[in-house]
Amino acid sequence: MTGFSKTEIDNEAPWHVRMIPFFDRYGILIVIVVMCLVLWAMQPEVFLSWRNISNIFKQTAANGMLSIGMFLVILTAGIDLSVGSVLALGMMTLAVSNAAGVPWPVVLCLSPFMGMLAGFVNGIGITKLRMPHPFIMTLGMLFMARGLANLISGGVPYSGLPDPVRFLGSAQIYLGEFDGTRYNIPVVFLFTIFVYFIFWILLEHTVFGRRVYAIGGNPEAARVSGIDVDRTLIIVYTICGFMAGVAGLIMAGRTNSGFPNAGQGMELEAIAAVIIGGASFFGGRGQVLGIFGGVLIMGLIRNGLNLNDVSTFWQQILIGGIIVLAVFIDVLRRDWGTRS
Amino acid sequence: MKRIIGLIAVVTTGLLMTVTTVSAQKIVVSMKGPGAGNPFWAAVQKGAEEKAAELGVEVVVLAPPTESDVPAQIAQIEDQLVKGAAGIVLAPTDPNALAPVVDEALADGVPVVFVDTKGANEGVTYIGTDNETGASLAATHICENVAAGSDVAILQGIITQSTGKARADGSNAGLSACGLNIVAEQTAEWDRAKGLAVMENILTGNPNLKAVFASNDNMALGAMEAIKNAGMLGDIFVVGFDANPDAAESVLAGEMAATVAQNPYNMGAIGVESVVNLINGGTLDSVIDTGTVLVTAENAADYQ
Repeated sequence: MTGFSKTEIDNEAPWHVRMIPFFDRYGILIVIVVMCLVLWAMQPEVFLSWRNISNIFKQTAANGMLSIGMFLVILTAGIDLSVGSVLALGMMTLAVSNAAGVPWPVVLCLSPFMGMLAGFVNGIGITKLRMPHPFIMTLGMLFMARGLANLISGGVPYSGLPDPVRFLGSAQIYLGEFDGTRYNIPVVFLFTIFVYFIFWILLEHTVFGRRVYAIGGNPEAARVSGIDVDRTLIIVYTICGFMAGVAGLIMAGRTNSGFPNAGQGMELEAIAAVIIGGASFFGGRGQVLGIFGGVLIMGLIRNGLNLNDVSTFWQQILIGGIIVLAVFIDVLRRDWGTRS
Repeated sequence: MKRIIGLIAVVTTGLLMTVTTVSAQKIVVSMKGPGAGNPFWAAVQKGAEEKAAELGVEVVVLAPPTESDVPAQIAQIEDQLVKGAAGIVLAPTDPNALAPVVDEALADGVPVVFVDTKGANEGVTYIGTDNETGASLAATHICENVAAGSDVAILQGIITQSTGKARADGSNAGLSACGLNIVAEQTAEWDRAKGLAVMENILTGNPNLKAVFASNDNMALGAMEAIKNAGMLGDIFVVGFDANPDAAESVLAGEMAATVAQNPYNMGAIGVESVVNLINGGTLDSVIDTGTVLVTAENAADYQ
């Protein structure tokens, strides 16, 4: 199950139509390879250095967590605007409870737990309170979670976390020394790969995954065919909140603190990564590998422009342009697909 | 398809043209916010660039798109460290959150100084406004213009923050020292509307009030509104802090008496000079004051 419709394409069709399935699957990898080549050409000594590559993964990890949760939601043709605020809520709960002397194993679980709770409330609001669109419920949660995060922390940052809490966000595994360079691999990189693998299994090889795609493709048909749509949606939003909480834990570890501005605007970055990664806003279409690519592309743009001392304003313009371009390519793809 | 390829080609060429030559000895100035649209950061940037030109070193000035974008600032510094930055002048968006990446730089042997906002790392020099000195400058100005023994009030910022505390302490010490009678010390949390409300209450309880020191201009402008509403314009001597354009306007209009300006140009210039000093093996004091200036009707036009 890959999400998009597996229409048999006529062998007589023009070349660019016959290429569609190939690009659907691997197009994003080609884009990434081309970007890497360009950046490598611009900064030959720096870009492919081990340290830079591990930096890219450290810098994109939090967005990676938010994006994969957001992907699940967007597959059901929904949206979750609250993930940035939920990240902050998880992070501040963690930091405040740590300062209050709560033992670290509890502190460690608090951020994902708060995320899960917020996501569950989103799910209940969308299904049981029958909000007309997930936009509204999660917009409400955007403000509530941000307000709650500021309320429990008094709007001030808390710093100084124990090492086990920081492990996920900041620990490095020492691989060895080679040619005078120390090689470390960030734990968060391995964790990201692990999480994406789990989501791949979940979406492509479980009944739950098939239901998620089915709901996004056609909720009425899904309902008629016996899927408990409400229950599935509640689970989807709970998972999305949980991932936002995990992102909060990662960011807390990375910065050794909880700061009230955390996650501002990150819901939009996650949506951008999902769109660039080829998911359809109308639900039911997209792949885990594509989302990984979308996150990586955003990270590569930031990193590449930083390395070339380009102003962050240009980064914003470029990311905006790429979102539009990615969707335009998708529009062309549909056009060609239909005409054949 | 051709159009897409064309578009990609244009973007790529644009990127290639912005590439600057890689230099081994480059100093990174990482500001809280972009200089564009903010005169304060524009002055920091100007100071840094002019000092760098004078010393013959290369600087790259960076900032996240907004002052709340902490992860963007961390990423910028990480990326510059990979490129081999020689030193870092940093105005942290969040002192605690930036601490790990500052430690990373120090572990790499890259010297760091903080400007404008003191960071959380021990032993790193802070270059910025001595807020206590600035507040006592304001207090002295009040002392010189108000009869000894008069009733005066202080509007405090948020005193759990170091800036708020320093300004509250400096003004209190200065006003008491010259024999003024401090009848009220209340917080208006840096806010203009709260400055108005708190001032209304102070005026009700202290009809003979002769002067007010507000820890920032927003509160001073709020207090001005309360004074105008009470029909006491001209009776009360109001001094603010920050020299923002609205306050400068008010001083020129003859409403607020004065305000205190920080010196962002010095932050950039002394920041670059200090980090070059560290690169060359020198040592620094733990705190370097960039100075404050009293802004009255004579020089307020410079701050509009």
